[in-house]
Amino acid sequence: MNALLRLVPYIARYRWQVVGGFVGFFLARFFEVSTYYGVALGIDAIASLVNGTSLPYGLRITDIVIGIVAAVALRFIFVARARQAFRRVGQQISFDLREQLFASVLVQGQGFFGKIGVGDLMTRAIQDIALVQRLIAFGLIQVVIMIYAPLFGMTAMLFKSVSLTLLILPLLPILYLYAQFVAKQMAVSSQRVQESLSELAAHTQENLSGIRTVQAQAQEENEIQRFFETNNQYSGAFYEQARINSLMTAWTPWLTALAQLAIIVYGGHLVMIGELSVGDLIFFLACLNMLLQPIRMAGFFITMLARAKVGVTRLCEVFDAVPEITDAPKGTAPTKIVGAFEFNQVSYCYPGSLQPSLTEVSFNVLPGESIGIVGRVGSGKSTLLKLCTRMLDVESGTLFLDGAPIKDYPLGQLRAQIAQVLQDPFLFGEPLGDNISYDDPDRALEQVWDAADAAALASTVRGFPEEMKTLVGERGVTLSGGQKQRAALARGLIRHAPVLILDDCFSAVDTETEEHILSRLKALRAGKTTLLVSHRVSTLRHTDRIFVLDEGRLVEAGHHDELIALDGLYAELERLQTQGVQDQAIG
Amino acid sequence: MENKPNKPQSAAPRDHAMFDADLSGAVLNFQLLTRILRWLRPYRIRLWVSGALVLIASFAAVLMEVVISRVLVDYIIVGDVDSPMPDLGLIDLTKSLEVSLGIPALYVAGGLFFFLMTIVGVLGHWHRLTLIDAIVKALRDLRQDLFAHLESRPSSFYDRVPVGRIMTRVTNDVEALYEMLRGLGSLVGEFVPFFVALTIMLSTSVKLTLILLMLVPVVGFATYFFRKATREIFRQVRNSVSALNQFLQENLSGMQVVQLSQRQDRNRAAYTAINQENLAQENRSINLTTYYGAFNDSLASVGLGMIIFYGGGAVVQDEMSLGGVILFTRFMNMLFTPVVLLGEQLNVLFRAMASGERIFQALDWDEQIREPEHPARLPERLSGHVEFRNVFFGYRPDEPVLKDVSVVVEAGKKLAIVGPTGSGKSTLIRLLGRFYDFPDGMIFLDHIDLQAIASKDVRRRIGVVLQDFHIFSGSILDNITLSDPRISRERAISAAKTVNAHAFIEALPEGYDAPLVERGANLSQGQRQLLAFARVLAADPEILVLDEATASIDTETEILIQDGLRRLMAGRTSILIAHRLQTIQEADHVLVLAEGRVQEYGSHESLLAADGLYKTLHDLQFQDAASINSDASVDEH
Repeated sequence: MNALLRLVPYIARYRWQVVGGFVGFFLARFFEVSTYYGVALGIDAIASLVNGTSLPYGLRITDIVIGIVAAVALRFIFVARARQAFRRVGQQISFDLREQLFASVLVQGQGFFGKIGVGDLMTRAIQDIALVQRLIAFGLIQVVIMIYAPLFGMTAMLFKSVSLTLLILPLLPILYLYAQFVAKQMAVSSQRVQESLSELAAHTQENLSGIRTVQAQAQEENEIQRFFETNNQYSGAFYEQARINSLMTAWTPWLTALAQLAIIVYGGHLVMIGELSVGDLIFFLACLNMLLQPIRMAGFFITMLARAKVGVTRLCEVFDAVPEITDAPKGTAPTKIVGAFEFNQVSYCYPGSLQPSLTEVSFNVLPGESIGIVGRVGSGKSTLLKLCTRMLDVESGTLFLDGAPIKDYPLGQLRAQIAQVLQDPFLFGEPLGDNISYDDPDRALEQVWDAADAAALASTVRGFPEEMKTLVGERGVTLSGGQKQRAALARGLIRHAPVLILDDCFSAVDTETEEHILSRLKALRAGKTTLLVSHRVSTLRHTDRIFVLDEGRLVEAGHHDELIALDGLYAELERLQTQGVQDQAIG
Repeated sequence: MENKPNKPQSAAPRDHAMFDADLSGAVLNFQLLTRILRWLRPYRIRLWVSGALVLIASFAAVLMEVVISRVLVDYIIVGDVDSPMPDLGLIDLTKSLEVSLGIPALYVAGGLFFFLMTIVGVLGHWHRLTLIDAIVKALRDLRQDLFAHLESRPSSFYDRVPVGRIMTRVTNDVEALYEMLRGLGSLVGEFVPFFVALTIMLSTSVKLTLILLMLVPVVGFATYFFRKATREIFRQVRNSVSALNQFLQENLSGMQVVQLSQRQDRNRAAYTAINQENLAQENRSINLTTYYGAFNDSLASVGLGMIIFYGGGAVVQDEMSLGGVILFTRFMNMLFTPVVLLGEQLNVLFRAMASGERIFQALDWDEQIREPEHPARLPERLSGHVEFRNVFFGYRPDEPVLKDVSVVVEAGKKLAIVGPTGSGKSTLIRLLGRFYDFPDGMIFLDHIDLQAIASKDVRRRIGVVLQDFHIFSGSILDNITLSDPRISRERAISAAKTVNAHAFIEALPEGYDAPLVERGANLSQGQRQLLAFARVLAADPEILVLDEATASIDTETEILIQDGLRRLMAGRTSILIAHRLQTIQEADHVLVLAEGRVQEYGSHESLLAADGLYKTLHDLQFQDAASINSDASVDEH
């Protein structure tokens, strides 16, 4: 199926505007032809003055001129309104496409963003939508020209002289065939230009990304030489495209000249035998011009169609993506969450990965408990946490929350009551306060300060001139890694959620501050469930129970002291770390 | 330290944000245009030829209209031969051809018309080809110069300015210049017939010509007011577009936070608001642009009315012939197309000005590693003695990264550097690779001050294997030689053999000619490491600097790597940022960095015995290579 057909429902929404545009262009064309006809009449009127014959239709020159000016004015209004109609539809549709794109990505899960990266999505949102917008705004005008120009040109010519029109007629198919031929060539060459342009861009990007390697090996000269080849190739492709374009601009008028020749010789003959007026002859030449308009546009139009088609396909790929996580209907699970998790033989394997990240993990978390999770990189800690907020869905086994399978919880209900602080502290380019109170921008400032205080960030924020209004991110203050982590932590703490999940979010925070935060946390989270991933034994010992993961399996579980007594993986870790601390204290 | 002879002027640190900032904006900048001329100059003959061709073609185009109006209408149809109107000798030519060829005047006129049309077509085509050829080549050269300039900017530049921003100057900005030059070229192509037609019109009827010319300033005023009215609207359109993009980019990057914070509905509403604002601005601009466009292409038609009105009277009073009036109507397009086009081209021109400014800003960006005026001459082969003496360094003036680092590596010895993240390990080797100027402290290579040696010489003698070693798209061989013609295929293969890379390369279907995609995605981590070894070995540096990869690698490859590394280091002074126990154990000395200072120094055994920071790091970080393989599973996202 042609991807462009997918645009039909979007255009259909604005069908009256489109119809209005078509009507507007129809009228505009009519008045354009009227202008030419008025000029022809004017020439005839002048000729009659010279010859002393009667005026055409008894019209005086002033009448004719008023008629011309009126036709021009009317054409001006209709053409402007009609163009407006089409271009507004183009903008409306790109508005709709943007809305739909954003709505589509909001419900997508991790797998989707793994497949289509942020950069790729941005390209779709910017360039592909722009392609569609241009197709609507300018492509529709092309269609109008293709229909109306020959229609009006032919009708007007037939109206004046059937025999002369028939003489020109055979030339038209030749011209259209030629235009089609060139259009194809142009499509090929513009494709080649696109390719070599992206190659040029890729080459530049690759080289600049690897500039340190290039410089480290003193290969600059060599790279410059290599770039020349790509650069030159692009210039060549560009020249070729321009050549085909120019050939088209040269040939089409030349072929038209044959038609003009017919008008001059045969039309001239008709004038001389009195079957045609001089004005009619000039009118014919003007109409011929109109007849050829679509041919000049053909190449441009075909390229535009091809590019828009690619754009639509890429947009539909996003629109059609089925969210990996399906929302559950309301009412099947308890509305108030207390935080009793039960992992029952839970396994998870990322798509495309050979080894499962979690294998038959089973454990219980009691409401109000604080749980530590530890394990090496790749042991499945983050995966486990993602299952708790349904960022990923359990594949085999069941995860119960407060007695109900977690898949029965509507996403909104679940995530509203479970606050998760991610490993990567992402901050939005907004004031710091808004970042902390991200889930609910209407919170009182006091609460924001409390959360910042609990995350040991308050004194840092007081140091900023604009305090909580300080812009962060690209356009504002750049926070250090530790500050970012603490801001992200504050974002989690402010919610006072029944369940709090901390995914290794102290890694850039120094031990002393961490200790301070954890002791505050204990009081803050009393009676509420907290899950916490960490590599530090000093962090983990604050929790009620610790689960040790290794290669996706639960290998040890219990309180700090119990695990030490067990003398397994955890005890080993503890030995390494406490020795280190002592050494540091001594050294 | 203040009296160092080669202390670079670091008084005013560069503001790299400048590279990104909106420059003076869209203004006519003639200085810019003259700068572009420098690249056009080598192709000036082509440009002159192109100009001559367009002149002839335009003249022929004008003659075509004279054939229709004067020869066909006046001479053949009306039979008015006494009119004082100019015909450029075409009527006489027709008469003589009529007699000499013995064919009717109508056919002669047809033939003349066809002949002129052919000239317009052929010469016009040549004109465009020569013009485009000159422009394309000039811009190719400009792009090449820009690239060459960027190639020699130092790390301090690339640290601060994102590659994407630099890249668009080589691609998009040069494109915009093409648009501009092409536009200027076609303006010339349109204005030549304008002047030819104007001359003939003036000699036909000065009065009517002047009346028509009054329309030209109307276009000018319309364009002026249009630009004035749209400047603010266009700015708001641009702002709303970038607000849209910024919002979307941010939401996509932070999608997990958005979803976990249940902000979908709120953010959708916010996005819709921005989207609506954008739509409103776009519609405002559409209103203006459509009226402006329609106004412009109506003017020529108004001119037609004026010609008929004036012409009627003039013909009656015998001031003009009927053909003369027609000639005017036929010239209207030649008169207005260039004027309207000029208005349209202004936008392209202004946009290109901004692009041109960005290009020249990049070309003028003179930040570079300080090269010595009289570079020290190095011996044929360095012995490889390296000394860091009281080195202080910071990427930003207020954030010191290295503080008073001193260490000596004897020729042929191996130094392992260890330390926590952010302790300055990588910085130390970057200074040695001469990627940064360091005003405070000295580094010596064979007792020669490093900053007195040309950076190229330093880098030829020091082979650096970075952790994120870069693989270029191309074949395996290209990646070993880095397309350096001095490195033969044999030498590359022998290097690969030495570092144990030969086996896996030979196993590939195309062997050394197997293509690699960017970043080497089709190679395993271990294979990339081996390839990086081969690349350095092929260059045969006297000193090896290595930032060992931290990623886990399967045991088998790990053994190959350790063995390859051993061979790579053989007979070479080696400085290694080590992450593997085995690497450290085989080093002669270990340097422990902490917060930019030398914390400990000594052999592996003595440091273990000293029971200090090294011991801690050792216990925490290093596991026996053999036990690592189990960890090479899927990493968490």
